[in-house]
Amino acid sequence: MIKARVPGVLERRRAEPDRAGKGADKGSGYHDPMPLTRLFRRRSARLLALLLSASLGAWAGATPPGVLQPAAPASPLAKPLPAASAPADDSAADDNANLSASARRIYDIGRPRLLQVRTLLRDQDSQASVGSGSLVGPDGLILTNYHVISQVALEPQRYRLNFQTVDGVTGALQLVAFDVVHDLALVRMAKPPAGVATRGLFEFRPASTPLAQGERIFSLGNPLDVGFVVVEGTYNGLVERSFLPQILFSGSLNPGMSGGPVLDDRGHIVGVNVATRRGSQQISFLVPAEFAQALIARSAKAKPIAGSVEAEMARQLLAHQQQLTSRFVALPWRETKHAHYSVPVPQEDFMRCWGSSNPTESKGLSFERSDCQMDTAIYINESLRTGDLAVRHEVYDGSKLGALRFAQEAGQSFRNEGMGRRTHDLTAPKCQEDFVENAGLPMRTVMCLRAYRHLPGLYDVAVLSQSVDAKTEGVQGRFDARGISFENAMLLARHYLQGFAWKRSP
Amino acid sequence: METLALIETLDRDGQPRQVLRVTQWPVRIGRAIDCDLVLDDPHVAAHHATLALREDGVHVEPAASLNGVRLGRAAIAPGSTPLLAPSSVMTFGATALRVRLAGEVLAPEQRLLDLLQYERRHAVTLMGLILFAALWQGFSLWLTTEPGIKGVALTGNFLSAPIGLIVWCALWSIGSMIFQRRFAFWAHLFVALKWLLIAVVAQAATAQLAFALSLPVVEKFGRVVFVGAVAMMIWHHLGLLLPSRRRAFAIAVGSAVAVSGGLLLIDRGMQQQPLVGDLYLGTISLPGVRIARTVSADAFVKSAAPLEKTLAGWAKPGDDDDPVEAGGDDD
Repeated sequence: MIKARVPGVLERRRAEPDRAGKGADKGSGYHDPMPLTRLFRRRSARLLALLLSASLGAWAGATPPGVLQPAAPASPLAKPLPAASAPADDSAADDNANLSASARRIYDIGRPRLLQVRTLLRDQDSQASVGSGSLVGPDGLILTNYHVISQVALEPQRYRLNFQTVDGVTGALQLVAFDVVHDLALVRMAKPPAGVATRGLFEFRPASTPLAQGERIFSLGNPLDVGFVVVEGTYNGLVERSFLPQILFSGSLNPGMSGGPVLDDRGHIVGVNVATRRGSQQISFLVPAEFAQALIARSAKAKPIAGSVEAEMARQLLAHQQQLTSRFVALPWRETKHAHYSVPVPQEDFMRCWGSSNPTESKGLSFERSDCQMDTAIYINESLRTGDLAVRHEVYDGSKLGALRFAQEAGQSFRNEGMGRRTHDLTAPKCQEDFVENAGLPMRTVMCLRAYRHLPGLYDVAVLSQSVDAKTEGVQGRFDARGISFENAMLLARHYLQGFAWKRSP
Repeated sequence: METLALIETLDRDGQPRQVLRVTQWPVRIGRAIDCDLVLDDPHVAAHHATLALREDGVHVEPAASLNGVRLGRAAIAPGSTPLLAPSSVMTFGATALRVRLAGEVLAPEQRLLDLLQYERRHAVTLMGLILFAALWQGFSLWLTTEPGIKGVALTGNFLSAPIGLIVWCALWSIGSMIFQRRFAFWAHLFVALKWLLIAVVAQAATAQLAFALSLPVVEKFGRVVFVGAVAMMIWHHLGLLLPSRRRAFAIAVGSAVAVSGGLLLIDRGMQQQPLVGDLYLGTISLPGVRIARTVSADAFVKSAAPLEKTLAGWAKPGDDDDPVEAGGDDD
C-alpha cells in the first residue's frame, strides 16, 4: 500500500464521516460493541469521571463496586412496582393514550425484568465490565449480548458473572448458551431469588406484525454504570448492505447498555442493544429479536456450560464462514474502468467500497485506491474481531517516474503491507509466494495465512498481488478474509486471483 | 663482559624505561642505593628482592617487604624462591620489571603495520571506492525521490550518509591515535567503504536475483552477506588499532555475531517469524528482470496446501502460559 507520502490522503481518510477502522487496526471494524469494559474505563472514564465528578460525587476516581447501588432506588423515576403479573400488562399500555408518558410506561413495564449483567473478577468483587440483560425465562433465564459475557465465556477461571436488578437484588449467573455470530447469549440465575417468578418475563413482538420505519421504540439498559435508563428512539429498518441483519436504531446507546432489551410501545422485545457507530450521532444497532428467539428456543432448557466454549464457538463461526464464502463467490466481480487491467472489485451487496486518489499535480506516483469492507465483524474478545472480508486495490500510473523509480515505488508499496504477528489469538502468518499469471497478467503474489490458536479450523488469509507486466504502470490488490476454513481460504484466494486480467487496449 | 641478562623496568605502555645489563649474579633490587638495580618507587622496600643464579636457572628471592613481589599475576608466597621463565614480567610494588635471559629463544620478527604505507598502497583503490560510493549514493537518492525535489532537501539526504561515514571513521581514527599514535583516517575510510559497499551491493544484487528467479532464499542469503560484511568491517577496524591482537578480535567479533545472531534466531523462532529476512520477498523489479515462469492461480493455491500443516503445528495449544487452555468449571 502506498503510504501517505502524498499529503492529504491521510487527512481525507480521517475526515470521511463513516469510515470503518482501517488496515491492521481494523480490529473493531465498523461498530463499537457496547459493553462497559475495563478498556473503556481506562481510556474514557478518566475524562468522564472528571466530567461527572463535578456533578456526581459518586463518580470520582475509581469506581468501587456498589457505589452506584443506591442510585437506582433513590431515583425519582423509581416507583413502587405494581404486583407484576406475567406477561406484560398490555391493557394498561393500551389505556394510556398520553404519548409523552410512553417512555415512563415502558420503563415501568420493563423495570422488574431488567437487569445489569456484571463481569466480576473471580476472587474479588471488582467489576471488569458491565452490560445489561432482560429476563426471558421462568427459571431466571436472561438474554444479553455475547460480548457482555465474553470474558467469562473465554476465561471462566478468571471471571464470574453477577446480576443486579433495578431494585437492587443481586446474585450469581451461569452461562447457558451463546450465539457468537449474532452476539447473543443466555445466562441463568444460579439460585433464583425469591419472587423471581412474580417479576414476569419479557415477551417478543410477534414476527407477524413487523415494525414500520419511524415507529418509536425504547431501549433499556444501564449506560456507563450510572443507573438504569430508558432511551426513546426510532426504528429505521435494517442496516443496508449488512451481511448480518441488524436494526438501525436512531437513539443513543452507550457502553453498559449492551444486552438490554429494546421494546415496542407494548413492551415487547423487538431487538437487543448491541453497538453504535464510532463518532456518529444516534446511529445505533440492535440485534433483531428473531435471533434471540431462535437462541431461546434452542437453548432455554440447556444445562450451564461447564467446559470450554471454544469448540462450540468454532462450530458457529465455521457455519457462518461457509455461508459468507458461498454468497461471496456466487457474486461476479464488478467491471473496472482501467484501460489495461481488470481488477477484482466486489459487488456492494454486503460490502461498502470507498475510493481515493492522490492529487493530480503530484510529480511522483499517481494512484487510485478502492477499499471495500464489510460492515459487520464478529466480536470474539476485546482484541479479536472476525468473520469478515475486505478487498482493496491500488492502480498506479508511474509515467512521471520512469521505469526504475516506478519499480522502486511499487516494491516499497508491496513490501510495507502488514500481515500481522503472532498474538494471543492467532499464530504468526505463514506465506506462499510466486509469480502468478491470470488472463495474460503476470503478478507477484503472496498469500499469508494465520491459524486461530483457540478456535480449531479457522484461519485468516491475506492475498497480496502486484502486477509485474509493465514498466510504468501497475496494479496492487489485496484480499483479506478473517475467520474462515482452510478450504475456503484456498477457494477465496483462487476466486480473487482469477479476478485479475490484462485488457487489450480498446 | 658477557651480558647474562637484561632487566627492564616498563612504563604503562609496556615500553622499557630503564634497562640494566646484568654481567654477574646475584642482582639485588630495591630502593636503597647499594642495590644493583635502584627503583624510584615508594612502594618498594630498601632491599626488595634478589635475583640469583642456581644450577637450574635464575631464581627470585624476595626479601621482607610490605608489598611483596608478583611473578606474572601471582604473588610469590613468603619463603618461596621461584624459577624465572624466559621473558618473565615481575611486579615490585608499582613497578613492572621484565627479565630477559641470555640464550632465550626469541619470538619471530613481526610485520610492522605501517599505516602510511597502508594508506599509500590503497590510495588508488580508495579513490575508486569513494567515486563508486558517491555514484551509488546519488543513484539511490534519485531512485527513492520523486521528480522535482531540489535544493536543501536533496542536499540533506545526500549528505547524511557521508557525514555518518566520516564520523564513524573519525572515531576509529581516534582509536588509532591512542594505540598507533597516528590518526589513520584514510585507512579506516578504506576499510569502512570497502565492506559497506560489499554489503549494500550484495544485498541489492541478491534482492534483484531473488525476484528474477522467484527464489526468496537468495535475498535472505544477501542479508547474511550484509551482516557478515559489517562484521568483517569491524574486525578490520580493530585490526588497524592493534594488529597483534587480530586473532583475539576475530574471536571476539565472531562470537559477538554468533551470540547476538543466535539470540535473534531464537526470538524469531519463538515469534514464529522467518529466521532470516522478511515474511515474503518485497522486491518488485522491471518486467524484463523476471526469469522465473509464472504459475496459474489454481496451481499457486494448490502449492499453498502445506501451509495448513505448518499452521496446525503453530496453533498447537500448550506452548505458552495461555489461561484459556485450562478450560472452565461451572460457576
